[in-house]
Amino acid sequence: MKRNYVREPLGEMKTMYEAYNEAMLELVKKNGNIVLLYGDFPRGAAGELFQKDYPDRIYDVGIAEANLITTAAGLAGAGKMPFTHCHSIFAVGRAYNQIRQNVAFDRLNVKIVLCNSGMLWTFMGGSHQIIEEIAALRAIPNLVLVSPADPVETRKVTKAVAEHIGPVAIRLSNPPVPTIYEEEYPFELGKAVTLLDGGDATIISTGMMLADSLEAANILAREGINVRLLDMHTLKPIDEEAIISAAKETGAIVTVEDSSIIGGLGGAVAEVVVENSLLPMRRVGIRDRFGQSGTVAELKVEYEISAQHIAQAVRELIGKKKSYR
Amino acid sequence: MAYDEKLIKELEGKAKILRRDAIEMIKAGESGWVGGSFSQADIITALYFHRMKHDPQNPEWEDRDRLIVSKAHCCETVYAALGEAGYFPKKEYQSYGKLGAILQAHTERIVPGVEYSGGSLGQGLSFALGEALAARIGAPKDKSGRPLPRFRVFCIVGDGESDEGQIWEAVMAAAHYKVDNLVAIVDHNKFQSSGKVEERINLDPLPEKWQAFGWDVAEIDGHNFNEILSALEKADKVQGKPHVIIAHTVKCKGVPSFEHKNLHFCKLTDEMYAEAMEALK
Repeated sequence: MKRNYVREPLGEMKTMYEAYNEAMLELVKKNGNIVLLYGDFPRGAAGELFQKDYPDRIYDVGIAEANLITTAAGLAGAGKMPFTHCHSIFAVGRAYNQIRQNVAFDRLNVKIVLCNSGMLWTFMGGSHQIIEEIAALRAIPNLVLVSPADPVETRKVTKAVAEHIGPVAIRLSNPPVPTIYEEEYPFELGKAVTLLDGGDATIISTGMMLADSLEAANILAREGINVRLLDMHTLKPIDEEAIISAAKETGAIVTVEDSSIIGGLGGAVAEVVVENSLLPMRRVGIRDRFGQSGTVAELKVEYEISAQHIAQAVRELIGKKKSYR
Repeated sequence: MAYDEKLIKELEGKAKILRRDAIEMIKAGESGWVGGSFSQADIITALYFHRMKHDPQNPEWEDRDRLIVSKAHCCETVYAALGEAGYFPKKEYQSYGKLGAILQAHTERIVPGVEYSGGSLGQGLSFALGEALAARIGAPKDKSGRPLPRFRVFCIVGDGESDEGQIWEAVMAAAHYKVDNLVAIVDHNKFQSSGKVEERINLDPLPEKWQAFGWDVAEIDGHNFNEILSALEKADKVQGKPHVIIAHTVKCKGVPSFEHKNLHFCKLTDEMYAEAMEALK
């Protein structure tokens, strides 16, 4: 089965935050309006450059997420393009009203970097592993929500977000992830990427779960099941056309995320599906549980989001497809 | 310090217009935030009609001074100041609070001249801080290396609003970054929505709190134009610290039969309208 844009073998492991900083280092040379704001958060390479060369364009407000988001809004109000950096759980959790009221309400040009996004933040445990961020942020009007899958996509997302005029939240996972994409592939905010063109079922993945979804697709291919694999990097606005085509052309959809299936990617895809066609769907993700400490591999098994779980979900759906026809 | 009598009379006259226009708005909308709009009216007058560098014909002028009214429910005197200054036609007042109006119940940036979409208390000072920081980015510096900001930012904060933790997050950050082009004004009218501030959460000693957080503090009678102008002038001169003016005010100031009553948000009856218009002749 043909694989589009995928490196063979997969490339180096790297964190998304490092990749994001690589992109920022390039952007800062072209865009004098960028301001970096931190909530007691590690600087990264771009932050360190700003500290040295642009000290009036970098501020850390300490452990004060509400002030972080609203100060960014004020900077945007005066024509700057601020990027805020703090743990996703605290940006979304503690500064939810600020995101909604100070940023999204007036479509201010604030870019909210949701660091250590999603459940797969290992050691930190349940208080820090956010599962509700996709559900919570999708419901805010005007806010674009994007979740890159690997370091290459993280760099492309960062650059696209800087070009986009308006508020954006960017999910960056914590652990190092494999480089899946070739350097050049067609990327556009709001358009899902089709990595595999199979017709037996579709796996729609977001964020770092793409690697596991690819592995699941390989397992299934060896059993004679060829899936379509979509990287839904933009959660809002979601690529409805890609979902509807997948439903029509493959007849079964499995969604994959390291966040709650309630209102997450699974919820978003189900919303499109139910208004456009009826087909069997299964949401692979966190089933309404809080997180806990563990390694990435252990957590994937414990929370049933590993490649094996994804493949099993597809197998079960293939069986159900017949009863929907 | 005593300012020119003529100037003071002019400003007092303007403040009366603002209060009258606010009442007309509230009558059109049937309800409004009488108390807090009136307690801040003199401060708003001093800012828009004397202190701030701004241009009603050019609301997007990049180097304009900004006013952020963090207590954004007290919108009527803000709208009245902008209408009186010429940012938009006064006929908009009749649509206050109605479907499709730009004059919403809490100020929004859709109104020419309004810098901040408020309603969720405690956030405006952070917004003002962000704007004040923007004024310093790339600004030329004086001999000592201090940035000469392109514009100043004023922020009116409520006393009840000061319960919100985020206010103090902004207070700490502004002092830390020595944002001396930021001037906060506390409209200390001693009431909040459900009752007296001292009975809900006592803020005393308030000036000492701001001082302890590293701000330059002034305390004034918020209805005395000599004191208002003097405090604003002093705030221009003190360097290296943000400034707060704690203005002791009277809720509903301007209509003696309303004063000291907690008319936080109320329906304006015909009797109240008549009383107000009589007092504000």
